[in-house]
Amino acid sequence: MADPQDRKLKDAQMRATINQKLVETGERERLKELLRTRLIECGWRDQLKAHCKEVVKEKGLEHITVDDLVQEITPKGRALVPDDVKKELLQRIRTFLAEQSNI
Amino acid sequence: MTMGSCEHLQEYKTTHGTNSFRIIHTYFIACSSADARRRKAKSCVCHTCRLHGPRLHACLNCIYFGCYGAKHIHEHAETKGHHLAVDMVHGAVYCFECGDYMYDEQLEEIARKQYTKSKKGIGLRANFSSWEPNEVEIEILRQNPKRRKVEIKSSIGLRGLINLGNTCFMNCIVQALTHTPVLRDFFLSDQHSCQVLSQDARQCLVCEMSRLFQEFYCGARTPHIPYRLLHLVWTNARHLAGYEQQDAHEFLIAALDVLHRHCKGYSDNILLSYNSQLNAGTSDSNGSGNPHHCNCIIDQIFTGGLQSDVTCQQCNNVSTTIDPIWDISLDLGPGPPAGGSSNSNSSPNSGFTNSPGTYEPTSLLECLKRFTKPEHLGSSAKIKCSTCSSYQESTKQLTMKKLPIVACFHLKRFEHSTGYHKKISTYVSFPEELDMTPFMSSSRNNTNGYNNQVIQESSRGLSCDNKYSLFAVVNHMGTIESGHYTCFIRQLKDQWFKCDDHLINKALPGDVLNSEGYLLFYHKQILEYD
Repeated sequence: MADPQDRKLKDAQMRATINQKLVETGERERLKELLRTRLIECGWRDQLKAHCKEVVKEKGLEHITVDDLVQEITPKGRALVPDDVKKELLQRIRTFLAEQSNI
Repeated sequence: MTMGSCEHLQEYKTTHGTNSFRIIHTYFIACSSADARRRKAKSCVCHTCRLHGPRLHACLNCIYFGCYGAKHIHEHAETKGHHLAVDMVHGAVYCFECGDYMYDEQLEEIARKQYTKSKKGIGLRANFSSWEPNEVEIEILRQNPKRRKVEIKSSIGLRGLINLGNTCFMNCIVQALTHTPVLRDFFLSDQHSCQVLSQDARQCLVCEMSRLFQEFYCGARTPHIPYRLLHLVWTNARHLAGYEQQDAHEFLIAALDVLHRHCKGYSDNILLSYNSQLNAGTSDSNGSGNPHHCNCIIDQIFTGGLQSDVTCQQCNNVSTTIDPIWDISLDLGPGPPAGGSSNSNSSPNSGFTNSPGTYEPTSLLECLKRFTKPEHLGSSAKIKCSTCSSYQESTKQLTMKKLPIVACFHLKRFEHSTGYHKKISTYVSFPEELDMTPFMSSSRNNTNGYNNQVIQESSRGLSCDNKYSLFAVVNHMGTIESGHYTCFIRQLKDQWFKCDDHLINKALPGDVLNSEGYLLFYHKQILEYD
C-alpha cells in the first residue's frame, strides 16, 4: 500500500504533466473550442447569459463586479452542462492521452 | 462594473506603455508558436503555491504569477503595491484599487489580434466578433427609424420576373442568386463599392445585381422587368445575346464570370488579371498556379478547389494538381464503357463499390461517388510520369480539396455526344442536407503525407463543417430543342417557393425534392470567419 501522502504527490505531478502536454500541443485550446461550440449548440450559453442579465439587473450595473457575477452563476453554470457534453470531452481527453506515449 | 478603462490603468499605460501586456499576452495567454506554447506549459504556475491555477493572473509591474482563487495575486498586489494584473485565461486586466476588471480598447485590440493569430496557429477558426455599429452607422440608424421585421408569413425577397422572350434561363438563375444567403447579405449590406468610373457605372454588372437585390427586397409585389440585366448580359457575354433559348447552366457560369470580372472594375481588368496571376505564382504554396486567386465576393462564395491525383501504375507516384471550380458538373446516364474494364481492380478505394460502365446514378450521392471514383485512364491515354520519366498507364481521381461556401451541382441532362443530342430525364434524388466529407481530399485513403493531417484529424471533432443545406433547384421541362426553366427557392427555413417567370407559388419541401433537378444549389451550414 502506497503512503497516501506519497500518492497525493504523485497525483499532483501527473496532473501537472497532463496539463503541460495539453498546453504544449495546443490540444487544450482545441478542447476549449469544442466545449465552446457544444455549449452554444445546446443552449447553455443563452441560458447562462439570461441568468447573468437577471443578476445584473437585480444588483444594478453600477454596483456589481465580475467577482459577484462569477460567484452567483458558477453553481448554475456547472449544473447546466449536459452529461453528453461532459462525456464527449472526457472521451477526447482520453484519446489524446492514449496518443501520448511518453506520459 | 465599468465598461471602460480606469485612471489607474490609464496612468500605468502612460508610464509603462503596453509592452508588458503584449509580451504576457503573446507568450502566456494566446501563443501562436510551438515555442511559446512550450514556455506557457512550463511557466504558467502560481509563484506562491506552484499550482496551475485555475484563474492564474500575471502582475503587470513585475514578473509574478499568482492564483486568483487562493488570493495569492491579491497578496502580491497588497504587499508590493502592484495594482494591475492580467487574467491568464481571458486576457482581461484586473485593477485591485477599483476591485474589478477593466476593459481598455487599446489592450483589447492587441488581445484580439493575438487570439486570431494563435487560433490559426493550431488550425482553429477565428472567433466570431459581432457587429458593433460605428458612429456613422449609428447616425444612419438614427436618421432611418423605420424597421422591417422578417416573419414567417412575410413575402420578403419574393418577386416574379417578366420573361423578355425566352429569358427563363436567366430568370431562374437570378432567382437562385438573389436567394443565396451570403450573396444577399453582401449586397443588402451595401458592400460593393464600384471601382468603375461614373459614366461607365451603368455597365457594371455588380452594380446591376446590387439594384436587383434592392428590387427583390424592397417589398414591391409587382413582377420586376429585368431588361437592364438582360442588356448587360448581352453586351458582356455575346454568346448569350439574342432571343433564342439558352442553357441556364451556361448562363450561370457566364454571369459568375462577368460578376467576378466587374467586382474589381473592368476598366483595369487586364492589369488585375495579370497581377493576380503574378500573385498566384509567388504566394501559392500549393504550387497549383490558381488562375483566379481572387478575393472578390464571387470567388469567396463560389470557388472551391478540385484536387486531381494522377497515380502512375508503374511506380505509384502521385502527381497532384488543384484547380479552382465554380460548379461541379455530374454525369448521368451509363458510366464510361470499357476504359478501365481491363483492370477492374485498379480502385485503391474500396469504399465505392459501383464499377463504371454498368450503372446509372439515381441519386446525387451516387453521382458524387462516381465523380470522385478513381478512373483508369487506359492504354490510349498514357501520361508521362515524372518519376519513371516514361509514358505509363495511370489512374486519376478527383476529390474536393477546398469546399466552396455555395456548391452548385450541374446534372448533365443535356447530352451532346458525337452524332446525337438528347436530354436525360431520369429522376435523380437529392437530399435537403448534404455531407461532403466522403468526397474531400482528406478522405482519400492514400499514403502521400498531408502536412496538415493532424490539424484535419483534430478538427473533425467539430464534424458539421462539411454539411450543406439545399436552397435552390433549377428545373428544365421539355426537350433538348425547346423547353422551359423554372426554379424552386428557399425563402426562409422550410419556406419554399416555385418561381415560374412572373409567377411565384408556395411549394412544399416534398415538391422540391421530387422534382427533376437540373442545377442544385447548396450552401454550407457553418461558415468560417477569418
